[in-house]
Amino acid sequence: MSDGAGTPDLQRPSSLTRIKESGYGGVFVACAAVTLLTTIAIFATLLSDALFFFSEVPITEFLSGTEWSPNPRGGGLSFGIVPLVIGTLTVTITAAFVALPIGTLTAIYLSEYATPRVRSILKPMLEILAGVPTVVYGYFALVYITPALQATLFPEMRTFNALSASLMIGIMTIPMVSSISEDAMSAVPDSLRQAGYGLGATKYEVSTGIVVPASLSGIASSYILAISRAIGETMIVVVAMGAQANMPEVRSALFGIPYIHPAEVLFDSGMTITVSMVQIAGGDLVGGTLPYDAMFALGLTLFVITLIMNVLSDIIAERYREAY
Amino acid sequence: MAVDRERAGAGFGEVSRVKGVAFRYVSFGASIVGLVALATLLVYVFIDAFDLANTNPVWLLVYFLTLVVPFIGFCLYSAGDRALTRRTALVLGGGLVATAVAFEAIELLITPIPRLTWQLAYLFVVVAPVVSYVVFVGAQKPVGATGFGLLGRTLGGAVLGTAVAILFIVLDMRLWFLVFTLGVVPAGAARAYGRYRGSGRALGLSIPVGVLGAVAAVFLRDVLRTYPTPPFIFIWTFGAPIALAAGLFVLNRGGTRRSAAAVGGVSLAAAAVGTVTGSSALPEGSAVLVFAAAAAPLAIHLHGVLDAEKGRVGLVLPVILGGGVLLGAALVGAFGIPGPDPWLDPGYLTEAPSRTAVEAGLYPAIVGSVIIIALVAVLSFVLGVGAAVFLEEYTADTGVVGAIARIIQINIANLAAVPSVVYGLLGLGLFANLLGFGFGTAVTAALTLSLLILPITVISAQEAIRAVPDELRQGSYAMGATRWQTTKKVVLPEAMPGILTGTILALGRAIGETAPLIMIGAATTVFSAPSNVWSRFSAMPMQIYAWANFPQAEFRYGVVAAGVVTLLIVLLSMNTTAIIVRNKLERDS
Repeated sequence: MSDGAGTPDLQRPSSLTRIKESGYGGVFVACAAVTLLTTIAIFATLLSDALFFFSEVPITEFLSGTEWSPNPRGGGLSFGIVPLVIGTLTVTITAAFVALPIGTLTAIYLSEYATPRVRSILKPMLEILAGVPTVVYGYFALVYITPALQATLFPEMRTFNALSASLMIGIMTIPMVSSISEDAMSAVPDSLRQAGYGLGATKYEVSTGIVVPASLSGIASSYILAISRAIGETMIVVVAMGAQANMPEVRSALFGIPYIHPAEVLFDSGMTITVSMVQIAGGDLVGGTLPYDAMFALGLTLFVITLIMNVLSDIIAERYREAY
Repeated sequence: MAVDRERAGAGFGEVSRVKGVAFRYVSFGASIVGLVALATLLVYVFIDAFDLANTNPVWLLVYFLTLVVPFIGFCLYSAGDRALTRRTALVLGGGLVATAVAFEAIELLITPIPRLTWQLAYLFVVVAPVVSYVVFVGAQKPVGATGFGLLGRTLGGAVLGTAVAILFIVLDMRLWFLVFTLGVVPAGAARAYGRYRGSGRALGLSIPVGVLGAVAAVFLRDVLRTYPTPPFIFIWTFGAPIALAAGLFVLNRGGTRRSAAAVGGVSLAAAAVGTVTGSSALPEGSAVLVFAAAAAPLAIHLHGVLDAEKGRVGLVLPVILGGGVLLGAALVGAFGIPGPDPWLDPGYLTEAPSRTAVEAGLYPAIVGSVIIIALVAVLSFVLGVGAAVFLEEYTADTGVVGAIARIIQINIANLAAVPSVVYGLLGLGLFANLLGFGFGTAVTAALTLSLLILPITVISAQEAIRAVPDELRQGSYAMGATRWQTTKKVVLPEAMPGILTGTILALGRAIGETAPLIMIGAATTVFSAPSNVWSRFSAMPMQIYAWANFPQAEFRYGVVAAGVVTLLIVLLSMNTTAIIVRNKLERDS
């Protein structure tokens, strides 16, 4: 900048200015690099401890073992992830039963039925559901939902159970499904709807028969994101589900198809991958012990699962998007 | 209506509307079911935190008449809309009867509703929505804007001042005094001189002078033995500058010198009052800061209102509220009506956790949260804006740089979806263990949470920067400005409302995060506030998590509920601030 002189400064920038310019550019590059470094650091931290863990515990044993007891005081150490996977699946599937239908219906309502005024009120309010701290949801599940369910529908339910935690996760993930699905539905061009009306379809038929199929890729990718969020959810399950790594009894139904009775896993306390990490961390943290490394192995499992799901959701959204 | 299906040779078929109408209502129900569930839970946690379940209905009635009704009246007066007044009266009156009848009918015919009376149901289902709606409408008119602006600014200033004062629990007050005296004051003087005289050299000198002064202060900290008393330090480093800034603000807005002096004087006087009062919860002398921070915006607002000659009546709002509370208290006292015994009271906010529910408090956790959020705010703002500026202003679409930018962009999207507990492991492995910042220290927590919300801040800052019209950039370049000059003087000021809003919302996410804090080994319960940033600390969500495990009913339904309500109020005020900041700055620009 010139020193306020009346004539414009037409000299080429001094070397100081140029150094300053590239200096600021460098600062911005560094800031952007931090995001890349974060990913690398996550990988490196998880992998280094997890590799040590897998050198002690064979990966086949980790993936197929049916007992999880990382507690050094309890005697036998055993690291089998199957009970944790069953717990995680229980929670995720139940939450999906809540979030996916409600989220989809919400998206249809917002994009097809709601007036602009209603939409402008409802959309930000739905985002509140995702903004409430998860520990608060966990508290709600433990202190209000569980007693209410015990008093009305399921008297045999335990204080710590998978069902109320899953219900809360479901409610929390509704906006995730609804907002992405609604974006996809709003992107469906009006000409398709008009064509439907022109053929004599009702609004209901246009919504379910034209708009939903046309935005299926967006809906699918929102489902995957919501499920990935439910898998990684921690505090709700930690507070409301308790921490018992149970292996439910596998029964065999007709034709010898194995199944697990839903009530056994839903009304009882259980343990997800995230809960077991928190449980280990809540004990005495000593670096280099086997439970400490097991935590990172679980973290790596979780990270890989959610990463794959996110990439999958991206691919589905990109590849199967109908370009209008 | 349209035709459903054509039957061969039978002309038009019949169309059933039932399916469509049913679907419409089902989908509408689905969109509100989550919100209704959350609202119900919030009502219950509110009732528990304030012990409303055992409240005498007469007590509620007294305060409803002395406080709520005049307040609604104020809002309606401000709105000045007869139709609205009529509608409000109708809803309040009709709602009273409807709630009572419906509630009693349900209790009689179906099932008793635990811990809820029809009076409370009326309060939450009818009164609360009506109040928020009339506040929303009333605040848009001059009278309401004056009244709520007055309350909001004073309260906001006081809260901000308290937050900064809390930081001095871990900051070295004397070092700050030296840094301010030797660094900030000379740098500010150089800048003012440069502006005044139009001397570029003085302007350019201000930053080196400030840095030199700060370095000198760090060296002098151990050499100097005697320091002024804490109240004087706060007057000198906060009271005086805030008063000066308030006066300059008024001058800038076109006020006379005399009014500017008056505004500054009022702020300084309030700061002086702070020297003789104080609270055990805050560092000694820091009441100065709280008073000055509350008084300065108040004085500025008053000046603006008295200048504008519009909506002056709004200034009675504090009188209405204060009078309502006093009158209510007098009536309740005179008739001996027992009031509720809320868990969430001043003692709860200023005392340490305890094994007994009655004495338990949230104070150390609040201090921990404030310190962490302050650190996270600085870190994530700098990193987030820096990364966003790089991605939006400094990259090309093609070539190596473009490819790198694309990779970073995809990476940010993926980082946003990594579970928070994994960030906790990152903090544990990298910051706590490898870099040795310690388990559960405020520094480790702040770094971890900053990385956690970084994707959100970057994405929102990018959106704000992208929204800046390209003509502004081209205009700046056409004047010969460099890229950095364009970014600093044109793009960032224009994008600032959006960036600030996004950052505050992201901080709201950080303040409620619990899982990463557990993973890095933050304490669930500490009994005294942390003494520096390297000591173990607790945070509000950590304390809630710890208490939620207590089996006693007083904890489950009382102490934790109070903590949850505190956390939610903090979150709500942060989000409201974000929205107000955005609306206000957008309107100004």
